[in-house]
Amino acid sequence: MVRLAVEHGGRSLGWRNRGGNERRGRPAGVVNQQERSAESRQSMVSSGQSAAPSFAAWAGSVAELCDAVDRLTPVAASLGVADASAAAWHGALYGKLRPQVSREPLLVAAVCGGTNTGKSLITNSLVGSGISRSTPEAARTLHPVASLAQGVAARTDLAALFPGFRPVAWRSEADAVDAAAADVLVWREDSGGEQPERLVVLDTPDIDGTLRENWHRAELVRNAADVIVAVLTQQKYNDAAVRDFFAAAAAAGKTVIVVFNMVDWPRQRERIAGWLATFAAETGVAAAAVYAGPHDFDAAEAGRITLHPLPELTPGGVEVPLAERLATGDFDRIKRQAMAGAMRVVADSAQGLAGWLDAIDRAAAGWRDAQRLLEREGRVQVELPSPPREIVWDEVWTWLEPRRSAVDLVVSSGYRTVGWGVSWAARRLGVGRTASERKEDFAATELEALKRALADFIDRLDDACRRDDRLGRLLGPRLATADRKAWYADLERRHAALPLVSEDYRTFVRAELDRFAAANPGMVKAVLTGLTVGSVVRPVMTLALFSAGAAAVPAAAGVLHHVLDFGVTVAAPLVGEGAVAAASQGIRPLIERLFAGWSAERGRILAETLHNVVLGDGVEEIGRLASSGSRPELVRARHLLVECSRECG
Amino acid sequence: MMDTPNGSSSRTAAAEPDFAAFDLLVEALGRWAPSGPAWPPARRVRSEWEGVAPRLDKARLELSRVLVVGVVGGTGTGKSTLVNALAGSEVTTAGDVARPTTINPIVVAARDVDVSWLPLDVMQARLVRSDSPAVANIVLVDCPDPDTQAAAGTPPAESSKPSATNRNRDLLEAVLPACDVLLLVSTAQKYRSWIVAREVAAFAPGRPLLFVQTHASRDPDIRDDWRKELESQGFDVPRIFRIDGVEAAARMAAGLEPEPGFRDLVAAINGELAGRAARRVRRTGALDLAAWFTRQARTDLAASGELVAALATGVDAERSRLESILARSISETLRTNRSAWQRLIADDVVARWHGGPFASFLHVIAALGTLWSRVRPGTGVVGRLLAGQSVSGTARDGGWKAVEELGLPAGEVEQSRSVLAGLAARAGMQDPLVGRARLDDAAASAATAALVDRAGAWLSAGIDRLVAERRARVGRTAFHWLFEALFSTLLVTVLVRAGWNFFHGNLWEGKPVSGIGFLEEAIVWVILWGLLLRWLIFALVRLGLDRDIQGLVGSVASSRLVDPLLSDFAGAAATASTWIDEGTRLGAEADRLASGCGEMPGLGRLRRPAT
Repeated sequence: MVRLAVEHGGRSLGWRNRGGNERRGRPAGVVNQQERSAESRQSMVSSGQSAAPSFAAWAGSVAELCDAVDRLTPVAASLGVADASAAAWHGALYGKLRPQVSREPLLVAAVCGGTNTGKSLITNSLVGSGISRSTPEAARTLHPVASLAQGVAARTDLAALFPGFRPVAWRSEADAVDAAAADVLVWREDSGGEQPERLVVLDTPDIDGTLRENWHRAELVRNAADVIVAVLTQQKYNDAAVRDFFAAAAAAGKTVIVVFNMVDWPRQRERIAGWLATFAAETGVAAAAVYAGPHDFDAAEAGRITLHPLPELTPGGVEVPLAERLATGDFDRIKRQAMAGAMRVVADSAQGLAGWLDAIDRAAAGWRDAQRLLEREGRVQVELPSPPREIVWDEVWTWLEPRRSAVDLVVSSGYRTVGWGVSWAARRLGVGRTASERKEDFAATELEALKRALADFIDRLDDACRRDDRLGRLLGPRLATADRKAWYADLERRHAALPLVSEDYRTFVRAELDRFAAANPGMVKAVLTGLTVGSVVRPVMTLALFSAGAAAVPAAAGVLHHVLDFGVTVAAPLVGEGAVAAASQGIRPLIERLFAGWSAERGRILAETLHNVVLGDGVEEIGRLASSGSRPELVRARHLLVECSRECG
Repeated sequence: MMDTPNGSSSRTAAAEPDFAAFDLLVEALGRWAPSGPAWPPARRVRSEWEGVAPRLDKARLELSRVLVVGVVGGTGTGKSTLVNALAGSEVTTAGDVARPTTINPIVVAARDVDVSWLPLDVMQARLVRSDSPAVANIVLVDCPDPDTQAAAGTPPAESSKPSATNRNRDLLEAVLPACDVLLLVSTAQKYRSWIVAREVAAFAPGRPLLFVQTHASRDPDIRDDWRKELESQGFDVPRIFRIDGVEAAARMAAGLEPEPGFRDLVAAINGELAGRAARRVRRTGALDLAAWFTRQARTDLAASGELVAALATGVDAERSRLESILARSISETLRTNRSAWQRLIADDVVARWHGGPFASFLHVIAALGTLWSRVRPGTGVVGRLLAGQSVSGTARDGGWKAVEELGLPAGEVEQSRSVLAGLAARAGMQDPLVGRARLDDAAASAATAALVDRAGAWLSAGIDRLVAERRARVGRTAFHWLFEALFSTLLVTVLVRAGWNFFHGNLWEGKPVSGIGFLEEAIVWVILWGLLLRWLIFALVRLGLDRDIQGLVGSVASSRLVDPLLSDFAGAAATASTWIDEGTRLGAEADRLASGCGEMPGLGRLRRPAT
């Protein structure tokens, strides 16, 4: 194993920057320093068997892995995957690996334990002065307090080293109990100059009190730590909250030093072996050393505590005071273990990052199911009223006008005059309606049909949301909290705004007729014949979510419009004797297409209301979620995870 | 007060809760809680009630039983030591060898106390008899700790650990329901334990508490800080005892005078939990529980209540929207069917006029008109009514078609129902409490039939009234004779003229007879005169008709025509709001009783939600 050439220089450049330089070529002057630095870090991690580039690659992979996870986090949140920020792998990756893989290898030692077990007292005794107030009342330490060696604060980015905290310089021992501050980490440089340069000692909030925020802060500190001083008491060593906290530390390869405090000394000395055995079996902690703190209320009041080493329970059996053990430990080995342990937590196949990635996959698959359900359910059939004949006919006439002979014109104007006379007579008798009345009637009936379709569609969405939790979460609030009156008002507005014959439709008719005339030169005459009879059309429109779903609708003789997320399919078969008798086979499909095209345009009204006010971007969102299982970041993250754990060894 | 011993009831009555009122309250709650609609907030209240009801019943039925005092607290806080000290001998294992020490609960009772009603098997408890005066009047339970069992949802990989078999918290949760009073034991290390606080909060409603700090000889006095903590959790904390269990047990064993803290605790147990005090504790606990339950329910229902009110407002708004559409359409149909009104009013009047030339004239015209009307029967509900036909039968069974003929398009109804379904969904109401926007076939035909029935009844009554008024206006006999006279004037003039011509002109003066030409002319004039008079009658009939139709249609709102189409939403909103109001009323009653029942000087109570 390569012994670490410890650097105490004030450099805290990230590894990612250095890796980039290495790849691109760099100024010769910094080579040595960088390599030395790389070597020191490499030796921490890979037992010195592989060369420096391997460590650099590992550090780079970790950074890339974090980037990939960062990009996936909002995706996971929108997919409804449970928040991972409390997961062990997340803490190891963001609390340990990312901040520490590319920084000066400080050794972080944290004093942790339940409420009122003497953490602050022990920390004060370790750092040699009152850094964190010790009180007889429980759960008073609200913020972690760090003791640093001289000069460390200036060259270390503490905010990056302890993510989740805002570093604040120490003013008094009351800082730790200041209820007004939130998420701060109080730091003070050791005034005596005795603290080893690479050692950081922290007092932490409790892990079992009624303030859950304290637990969270203690967990953040634990994640960053290499050494945990576990403060246990005979009341608390087997509490579930305490066990869980230290089991996570053990799983992450941290070095744990156990202090049994408030021991009835020496009466309870022989009990400690049994307590420790239970604690070890429950948490998987292999204590690096064990100490006992006698119960002495008066001494505690005076801020004094004596910690007796218990060589009989300490591997190697050596009797070293706690402060000395912390100061003289094999920092590199401890650090290496903690980093490898953190990587192990991240790489765990069930509880680690892989499990989270699997959950994203599963959630995306769930969204694909939801999408299919919506495609199946989100489909309404609208029975539109028969449109006034002339809306299509007039367009056809206009198209025909320049193509007709003088005889035709005379004949047809004769027809028109007669027809006008007949309809006038009918109106006088109260049987017929004027063209504008017919259009008004049509518009009213059509609006009713569209409203019914909208109501039906909303019912179907409600059903789909009830049958699928994911849809319920995404669309449910929109369906339940929106002002539905506004949806219908929007539909009415769009309906009123769309003229019976729009410019789009005129273009469509001309194109269709041009196409027809080009393909069937002889049939134009037949068109004229066809025009003399009144045909009745009964259009049926199907409006379906997603173009993919709409394509599956049989579009016999129909026109398929894609409107935003909707497919509007219209079939407009001619009915009525006149049409069947007079329209020859050739012209029939043309007329049907002309009517269907017109109806499809009417369908746009509903599709646009559904898109713009009812569903909003919900449909795109579902499409995006359903396809998020195949995002490149997922594959990349899996690949990086394998790479990182391999390089870590 | 049926089993209150003689004489002393007047002294205790002031401090004791109002038993009769309490019994009424429990009965009312028992009716109210399960009677909510099929609605998530009501279901939550019901399931909460199912946990509370047996305890309230028990408090009423087991009024005179001794109190069960559960000693609870974190492991290592000295529960077993305290139980041993109170029992006067080592009835349960205490110590520092292993955590947790107590696995199975120990029930301590005096020799003469019947505990056959305690579910020892459910509690997995062992019964120990004791002669100690401290437990002479109570049953003491040494409970397992809540803090050593692994948290729920621990991954299966943890199952190899020794704690995998630890079920202490589950056991605790099986024991606590049997307890009437909690004796919460804590130490300087554990008084801010989250898990203990959580368990106690779950079981404290309706269970008065004693608070004890142990390890007095070792730990600092943290009672002030603990009190603050307990108060922030919603407890009333009249006092906290501070004792040293080990010392107390030693002194008891040695037959020495107990230390002051322990003596106070025993005094409090004997004074506040024994004898008649036990009844009051039980009743107060039950009242607290009832008040707690209603407070939880009211908090839960407060937000829902607003949403229900919004639904009710929505129902009103949609109802008037549909009514105005219906009114507009009906009014137009009524106004445009002038000939139908004429037939209904004038023809009927005329049919009853007999014996006169004008009447005969009108009868002839009417006979011709009948032919025409046979050809065109009334269409739609309104048309049928105006044609004097019944709307039952085909029109009523026509479903949506009949409603649309009446003038209310299905699309508008579905729009309203869709809007209301949205408001209902916001209030958490779904099938089957309310329907969907589109009514299914059965519901639609029932609702439309009801609507057409109501509309038929309302319209035909209205039309009948209008017709009757107008018939009265033109149907008077004097009126008839006036018209007969007017008609006859021309007739007489023609006859006189003809007679004059014949007798005076022809016979007297010898002029030629005017002949048939004059008669033809005269007949034309008579017919024209008759038609003019007929038009006058109709004009009289039509006078003010539009205004009266407007008045009739204006009564559409009071006729509740469209109610059947929205009845599910209206009904759900009304049911829910009535139910919520009743809950609020009962809650106020529970608060009144709970606040009126006085304090118990030494016992803590959970009275408020945690801050």
